Amino acid sequence: MHTTENKERIIDNSEDLKTKITESIDAFKLRAELLMANIKEGGDDSYDHSTTNAGEKGLKSGKVSELTVIAPLKEGGAERLKEILKIAGGNLKGATRVGTLHDLRFAFLDNDTRVLFCTAYDGDWDPYIDDFATKIPELMDILFGSVEGWPGIKDPSVKQFILDHQITAAAWYVGVPHLTIQDIRRQDRIVKGINKALDDAQS
Amino acid sequence: MSNINNKKPLTELTDKLHDLKDEFGNRIEDSKFDSWLQTIKEDVGDNIEMFARKARGVFNPNLVDMQLEDIQSLILRERPSPYFGTVIAVKVNNAAVGRQMLAQVLPDVTGSKEWHKDMQATLSIVMTYEGLEALGVPQSSLESFPDSFKAGMANRADKLRDTDVNDPENWMAPFGDKGDIHVCAAIIADSKEKWQAKLAELKENMQTHIDYEHPANGDIEILMEHDFGSDNNVKNVFGYRDGISNPEIKGSGIQTPPSRDGEPIAAGEFVLGYEGEAGTIPPMPQPEVLGKNGSFMVLRAYNSHVAAFNKFRKDSTDSEEEAELLGAKMWGRWRSGAPLALSPDHDDEALGDDASRNNDFGYKDDPYGKKCPFGAHARRMNPRDSKDFILSDVRIHRIVRRSVGFGEVLPPDVTEDDGKERGLFFIGINAHAMETVEFLQSQWINDGNFMSLGEEKDPMIGLHHSNKNSDANTFTVPDDPIRKRYHGIETFNTLYGGEYLFIPSLSALKWISQLS
Repeated sequence: MHTTENKERIIDNSEDLKTKITESIDAFKLRAELLMANIKEGGDDSYDHSTTNAGEKGLKSGKVSELTVIAPLKEGGAERLKEILKIAGGNLKGATRVGTLHDLRFAFLDNDTRVLFCTAYDGDWDPYIDDFATKIPELMDILFGSVEGWPGIKDPSVKQFILDHQITAAAWYVGVPHLTIQDIRRQDRIVKGINKALDDAQS
Repeated sequence: MSNINNKKPLTELTDKLHDLKDEFGNRIEDSKFDSWLQTIKEDVGDNIEMFARKARGVFNPNLVDMQLEDIQSLILRERPSPYFGTVIAVKVNNAAVGRQMLAQVLPDVTGSKEWHKDMQATLSIVMTYEGLEALGVPQSSLESFPDSFKAGMANRADKLRDTDVNDPENWMAPFGDKGDIHVCAAIIADSKEKWQAKLAELKENMQTHIDYEHPANGDIEILMEHDFGSDNNVKNVFGYRDGISNPEIKGSGIQTPPSRDGEPIAAGEFVLGYEGEAGTIPPMPQPEVLGKNGSFMVLRAYNSHVAAFNKFRKDSTDSEEEAELLGAKMWGRWRSGAPLALSPDHDDEALGDDASRNNDFGYKDDPYGKKCPFGAHARRMNPRDSKDFILSDVRIHRIVRRSVGFGEVLPPDVTEDDGKERGLFFIGINAHAMETVEFLQSQWINDGNFMSLGEEKDPMIGLHHSNKNSDANTFTVPDDPIRKRYHGIETFNTLYGGEYLFIPSLSALKWISQLS
């Protein structure tokens, strides 16, 4: 490239360059502010909280992944789903049985025409989808049957259906990223056992 | 048969045998059934319960609901014992010649129908995605295969957790990118003569298409030829009886020895074109003639480091007896094949040898793994009725195993490697074998969460780093009063190659051979 051309290009792009510099100064400022705030107000637990991809979509921190789905609802779907969730009253026995779910929530959007489903779970969800289809097909279809286009848990296209409606979270923070639900349940039993043994020894 | 009392007079037993012959074998015409009946009679004496157990393992034509004649025998049929065989991996450079070869050998490929009769040497034919392409299978059909199969095993390394020493970069030719395996042909026979005759015939057929000076210029290239077989096929190179448990497939008519597996598993889990456990027929390659009655095979070639395994057992324990116990805890069975669940403290050869008893157990009465650890290889690969910590359906993760070993067994006291090659061709067959093995590799082999074992991995076939500070390289053995933990496990079986293969039905092979 000739130097004259180069110069012209630089002149041509001078406005652009200015914006870029301003932008990067802004980004730098933001970074500095975050750094300061972290130093002043943040804490450190020595756990690795960095995130990686949980598969085709979704983020993962340590062993815990996020699944965020927004999907349209069938006519009357919201009422149906609300009724089901009301009956369950937070006691979703199927979710307990799955054994990898840290939490899950449903929220209704846009005048009850769409549903937001979010969950934090251990590892990957797709290897177990076939197990859901043979072990808890009714629970799955009751919960998601109100979603427009839900193919049914036994349909081979169900993985793709979920992926098509999944949104990768912009950020993902997990308090204790290296412990699975199984680890937490096991460690809870161990602590209770140790405390009981200590109490017995002292009484 | 369950309502029959344990001890009955001999005459009654004889009558019962005849009844059973009718029940099981009214359409079995060969003489083998009679000789089988005779042996059983001698074996079991007047113990009718024992007889009922042994009566399984028989072919019952009344239960057949599949097109056995169209399904390659290796899917449904146990190999003979002893067995002799060779596997040849081939690259097809000329589609027309490849198809012509296929047509030529087709009569030697056996179906599963006559499985109970004396077998002739059989030929099994399987192919990779590239193989289907090289033989000229049309694009629309190629596209109908599962993505994992199209990608091939080497490209699925992340799903299979094949990293570090098991990374496809480190594989040997001709596997993965180190070669272009298109078609694998395996000959198996029950005698040396039959095997060699069939092998000679096959090679003669191929001869004219091979360029021995410049193999790449030939219409067909032989990339690998590997003999396998054993007079004593029951022991793997570590010296443990292996391959005992295989699933019973509904509609195959083939009954496995007694187990606590419950109902036979739906045919669609193992053969394409049938209903699976979910009650639906999963998608299959198209057109139907190509997909139906076919299946998929996962081949994984392992080098086994038996001396390292022996050394680990020795270094981790204080006596030979303890070292033997640790080995059994790692496998889940003793050297004889006797399961820890039935014989937790010592080996029991009579139990290990007895097909009517060595797989007839569950883990219900071992809820804490004090007999057989949760992390034992056999309990991981088939948790049977263990409590599922993570919701999973054991029945959809079963695989038909047709693995073959190579090399000599290394005695238990040898802790220095002798430099000889020994190992295992793991061969797993399932209608969604890629998915199943990717599940097993990532969830049940290279992780412990499904058994609430944290990061622990399968001590025998997991990928380890002999790191004494790593939870992943630890093996936990529940015991009284407290558990024992063994640290610093290394990779006792390293992967040196593998392929995802399609097992076409006989009519699919014919269809491919007639393409133009």
